[in-house]
Amino acid sequence: MTDLPTMLNRRAFLGTAGNSFGAAALTAMMAKGDNSTSPHPAFQLAPKAKHVIYMFQSGGPSHIDLFDGSPFLIKNHGKHLPPEVKGEQRVTGMTAGMKNFPVAKPVAPIRQCGPAGAWISDLLPWTQKIADKICVVRSMNTEAINHDPAITFINTGTMQLGKASLGAWLSYGLGSETENFPAYMVMLSQGTGKNPGQPIYSRLWGSGFLPSEHQGVLLRAGADPVLYLDNPPGVKRSQRRGQLDDLARLNQAFAQQTGDPETLARIQAYEMSYRMQASVPELTDLSKEPDSTFDLYGPESRKPGTYAANCLMARRLVERGVRCVQLFHRGWDQHIALQSQLPRQCQDTDQPSAALILDLEKRGLLDETLVIWGGEFGRTVYQQGQLDSSGAGRDHHGRAFSIWMAGGGIKGGITHGETDDYCWSVAKDPVHIRDLNATILHQLGIDHNRLIFPYRGLDEKITGVEPAHPVKEILT
Amino acid sequence: MFASGRKFMNWERLPIFLLLTLTSQGESSEVRFNRDIQPILARNCFACHGPDEQERKAKLRLDTADGLLTGGTSKEPVIQAGNPEESLLWERLVSDDPDEIMPPPDSHKELSTGEKTLIEEWIRQGARYEGHWSFVTPTLPTLPAGKEENPIDRFVASRLTKESLTFSPEADRRTLARRLHLDLTGLPPSKQQIANFLSDRTADAYENLVTRLLNSPHFGEQLALPWLDASRYADTNGYSIDGGRDAWLWRDWVIKAFNENMPYDQFLTEQLAGDLLEKPSNSQLIATAYNRHHSVTHEGGTIGEENLVNYVVDRVKTTGESIMGLTTGCGQCHDHKYDPLKQVEYYKLFAFFNTLDDRGHDGDSGVNPRPFIQTRTPLATELEVASVKKELERAERELASPDPTSQAKWEEGVLHELEHIGRGFQLIPLDHLTATLPNGDPNRIQVKNDESVEAAGGDFSAYNVCCKIPEGAGVVTGLRVMFEPANNGKIGFGGKSMPGGFVMSTITPCFNPFPAKNIDLNTATPYERVTASSFKPGFRPEFVHDTSRRTGWAPALSDVDKQQHLTITFQEPVDTANQPYLTTELVFNYGEGASPKKFRLALIKGADDTSMLPESLREAITLAPEDRTSGQIEFIRDYFNAHSSAKSPARHHVSNLKKRLEALTANHRIMVMNTSQKPRVTHVLERGFYADKRQAVKPGVPAFLPPLEVPADRDLNRLDLARWLVRSDHPLTSRVAVNRFWQMLFGRGIVKTSADFGTQGEWPSHPELLDWLALTFQSSGWNVKDLIRRIVTSRTYRQSSNTTTELLERDPLNELLARGPRFRLSAEMIRDHALATSGLLVRRIGGPSVKPYHPGDLWRQISHYGSTPATSQTYVQDHGENLYRRSIYTYWKRTLPPPGMAAFDAPNREACVTERGVTNTPLQAFILMNDPQYVEASRVLAQHLLSEEGSDQKRLQRAFEHVTSRLPDQEELEVLKIAIARERARYHSDISGAQNLLAVGESLPDPTLPAAEHAAWTNICGLLLNLSESVTRR
Repeated sequence: MTDLPTMLNRRAFLGTAGNSFGAAALTAMMAKGDNSTSPHPAFQLAPKAKHVIYMFQSGGPSHIDLFDGSPFLIKNHGKHLPPEVKGEQRVTGMTAGMKNFPVAKPVAPIRQCGPAGAWISDLLPWTQKIADKICVVRSMNTEAINHDPAITFINTGTMQLGKASLGAWLSYGLGSETENFPAYMVMLSQGTGKNPGQPIYSRLWGSGFLPSEHQGVLLRAGADPVLYLDNPPGVKRSQRRGQLDDLARLNQAFAQQTGDPETLARIQAYEMSYRMQASVPELTDLSKEPDSTFDLYGPESRKPGTYAANCLMARRLVERGVRCVQLFHRGWDQHIALQSQLPRQCQDTDQPSAALILDLEKRGLLDETLVIWGGEFGRTVYQQGQLDSSGAGRDHHGRAFSIWMAGGGIKGGITHGETDDYCWSVAKDPVHIRDLNATILHQLGIDHNRLIFPYRGLDEKITGVEPAHPVKEILT
Repeated sequence: MFASGRKFMNWERLPIFLLLTLTSQGESSEVRFNRDIQPILARNCFACHGPDEQERKAKLRLDTADGLLTGGTSKEPVIQAGNPEESLLWERLVSDDPDEIMPPPDSHKELSTGEKTLIEEWIRQGARYEGHWSFVTPTLPTLPAGKEENPIDRFVASRLTKESLTFSPEADRRTLARRLHLDLTGLPPSKQQIANFLSDRTADAYENLVTRLLNSPHFGEQLALPWLDASRYADTNGYSIDGGRDAWLWRDWVIKAFNENMPYDQFLTEQLAGDLLEKPSNSQLIATAYNRHHSVTHEGGTIGEENLVNYVVDRVKTTGESIMGLTTGCGQCHDHKYDPLKQVEYYKLFAFFNTLDDRGHDGDSGVNPRPFIQTRTPLATELEVASVKKELERAERELASPDPTSQAKWEEGVLHELEHIGRGFQLIPLDHLTATLPNGDPNRIQVKNDESVEAAGGDFSAYNVCCKIPEGAGVVTGLRVMFEPANNGKIGFGGKSMPGGFVMSTITPCFNPFPAKNIDLNTATPYERVTASSFKPGFRPEFVHDTSRRTGWAPALSDVDKQQHLTITFQEPVDTANQPYLTTELVFNYGEGASPKKFRLALIKGADDTSMLPESLREAITLAPEDRTSGQIEFIRDYFNAHSSAKSPARHHVSNLKKRLEALTANHRIMVMNTSQKPRVTHVLERGFYADKRQAVKPGVPAFLPPLEVPADRDLNRLDLARWLVRSDHPLTSRVAVNRFWQMLFGRGIVKTSADFGTQGEWPSHPELLDWLALTFQSSGWNVKDLIRRIVTSRTYRQSSNTTTELLERDPLNELLARGPRFRLSAEMIRDHALATSGLLVRRIGGPSVKPYHPGDLWRQISHYGSTPATSQTYVQDHGENLYRRSIYTYWKRTLPPPGMAAFDAPNREACVTERGVTNTPLQAFILMNDPQYVEASRVLAQHLLSEEGSDQKRLQRAFEHVTSRLPDQEELEVLKIAIARERARYHSDISGAQNLLAVGESLPDPTLPAAEHAAWTNICGLLLNLSESVTRR
């Protein structure tokens, strides 16, 4: 009696489907090959990348020790940071009371690598080797000086609570390329530098005001990689198939009787759950990876849940069409024991991060995958704690810090931006974290000013209300 | 999730009025500024030509009549009424010149053809300006003529008539009963309740049902839930560390207020200013926690002054959105771009909430952020206290009562254990490689040459120790940690309560193929049995299972000068051949520096050679029963009651009841508002930055709303604000309130943007109805139950929600209300529905939050556990009745809300939310099909079905009715008959599969039921609970 597909199509057209997987999915299903929708204004850019892998280094990796140190610091080790350099910059409550601010040189030698002579620490030998493939941005900056506001800012575009994460925006804007996985998947790991590291929170991969279908889905190590993925004990896959068929039959009849398009959407969601019960175990089964893979990513990649295994998994997710993969690796908050913590933290991450770039490149995926390595801020050039003591470290520093990017239309083998001699302030080509997010969107073909969601009287954007600009200089 | 279509930027979303205006032919419709034009201007023009003076271009504002008439720099009116062609506004909108056209191309804003047509038509019709509707005090609209008795229906019918539509027929009685039960109590009707309603043929059967449900104690729970979202209620402090706080007394207060039908103006006044009322009661103080539910941080480096600003911003935001329907956020940094709220006015509002004794860093160690009080829950009744006491007596008797069958089995187990103690026991020494700690000098913990780990002093810490396992160790069964009396002859650094001792909060082993410095929680090796060389009373070795920081194992104080050890036995033996490294996390976060000096780890093979069975038990139990003295018999029975797993449900029952009694009778902490002796001075903050202070301001209200006189002798305070908000001439408060009650019952508000009644919000679908409801709500004495009764007895509400293609095309969102409302149940209701349907639901009202089933320990994976004294860093699941309480009581951790709730669109409670989304995702399917909570509910429902006689057909009908409140039709029955046949065949050939399924959940299945049959029916019940109909309220 009721032509539901037509109703649904109509409904989606009217924009009422904004909140529903179902309607959108069904529309997409029915509209395969249907070109009636003209390209959205936000998509008028030619995309350079289809996927994003964001290797988020939580805690604030030290740009001084890893990417921005210089002989000048070695020469000035132990001298006080000149007040005119320090300026009015506020520092955190942890070191605000210090009487003077002694410059501390990088804890390990740091050398220039790659065609542009990017400074990269000897703690990162693998990263040094891929210097020709990455772009080190040394002029990152943020207003935030503490973890919660800073990590919330860089991941959701504002320090205020309640907003949507970058990955959720990408899911909302671009949807998924695959019917077997969510568009946005998240993996967590804990570094050995500082365990436990600073806490992280679901808001960093949450959907905020966006429909909750866009929230990042956690992929965990061990049993049930996706929460509640496995059938209960004693229920077999073939049996589940029969149950789902019965369920679909009953739901179909109900939808017809009541004219309820949501129910049809629900049937699709159940079908996808069934597909995921196969696609996720296939994803996490590494038995078919050759030894050469594990050699590349390092021995820890054999152990689910490590950063190395997560890097490998990121490649496998991208291969399977997942739009945005974000790793959160904790342990970069070296207030203390920089000398012993930082090398450990680097050892966890250096080889796997570089391996991911090499692996993607070898498979021809690097061009279409934008990879970002970075944290929420950097660290102070001055020493926190007693200079040169084994317990000494560095405080948070948002005024200037470093990240690197690769693939997805980013020029390799270059550096962008400069800081002053003390790596304290940006001296040239500042890149605010808003600009970073605008750049990420740009590479995916999105004008960040046009990917909006009206909420509470504001056209919300991942870049917020202040101006933001893609960093054109680093694009191919 | 997972939609592949490009669906976004819905700026083309046109309110249905516009569509209708544009599409209705023949009829000349009046274009109204307020409804039709202002939203277009607001969206496209106000950013540069609106209230914000700083951003205003060409001195032109289009949000006031004055602005439109006098123009900007050009001093030329931008509109010539009746003549679009002569109007500058129109000229610029349709210009071809990129320098002339408005909005300018770089704004990325563009008017659609339809929008332009509307503006043209509005100017042609005379360009009449109106103030924004919601800022104008409502007047009682004339009731439209008609035959409907309920005024609501008159308003709705009059609109329907205009659109040539009619009401849908009334829903059938079963649907109505289910709808009412779900809407008013959040729970489905029982079969009996349906039957009662069906058999009540009196004229006022429906009204009587409404009355009964309004008087149900679950009414308050149901009404409280959306208010908890709006008030961002949570059990943790939020931000990064997100430790625990006590906030539940306020939740109890809200439930009670709704149940007792507290007038809504009082409801708001007590929450905003209970502390300022004359001689406030404790209950009125509890109410003020409304303004304390914002997140609070104690993150070390943050700046207290800045944090305090953030807290006040949150209070203003929440009050604005949840009570006034106003978004205020913009005002923190600049004049509001769309609404006439000036920045200085924002800070006048801010000033109301900036006078309390709170601190920039607070809330650590599980102690509430200050100020707080300690008091009893307002929900406690003498009746419940008495009844819980009785329950407790019964439960204690039950626990003490002999259970010879189970005891005999247990005794066998004990004897078996005694026989096997130490059988094949072997210690395998390990090569200690590294030891790390999160904080402090890394040299505080070191691996020594004698294969031990030594600490420099007392720590509050989690040590990770990595060891190499010797080659050929093979299969191992457990792990032992041995502690040396190396701190001046003592084993630990414990302070006042355990001198020379320590407390191990938990221990987590993890085998690896490589020398990992850390454990990985997802691949940790589970263990069961825990023994130790000695223990301090209250600190038994098995308490290391519980990750809480104040529970754990402590060696006996008398033995702290001797070597001590703790041994865990893995659930399954571990083959070390392919994973020759062991990393173990040992957590010492009790406090008082109670950590050990020197320890070493060893693996064990064979059976643990230690037993926690006391000597006297061993002696007694090895005797033949007839040889035991009466003292021995009693001792064995007591020990069985206190320690056997068979008695653990009874023990949980007793301990839950004791906790319930405590919840009802003891004092508990709750954060409150107060007024400081030295209140902070409020300044306008440039760009909202805490340190950039400009002029000082006093409390006050925005000029575009009714004025509030400042008393001669004092500043305005929150009580003045509250009384102003509920004054009869206030245009927002009552409209916002009735709109949200409407939203609860119809799935969307009359104003869809229920937290934004400003110029960017949506125009009401039925403006006169909204005003009528608001004013009658006020004149009824803000009577919530009356309002709800009025709505749910309307014809509008009682319509069938079934839809036709035509209607769905015509009005996809059901804004015109030509059919009944239909929407998916909320996260909480879905879980409660399953619990209620199965009979597992525990219907206690109020009390502290509970921790039901949880997948592993998601909290520990993201938290600061082991590095902070904050609570709620690990998830410690409850048992017994706490697994089955209503979902409104589920413990809410903001940084990781209950996953089963988050998947069904529950907000994380970090910010005020008044509308939840409704999505359909595969993650929801996983939860409903596989989460133990739902599998168990299915199993228990199946057990009820099987305990009654009946054919398959009868049982299928019963099951279907239990779950959906209706009877299945023939077609549905046929599907289910085939299903039960299939499930039965499956389990009759695999009894152990059936038993595995039945073992899910902590409640015990009836052992007398045949397993295959029970399992088959469990899956049928699961199937039914997964029906779209089960999770839909229609």
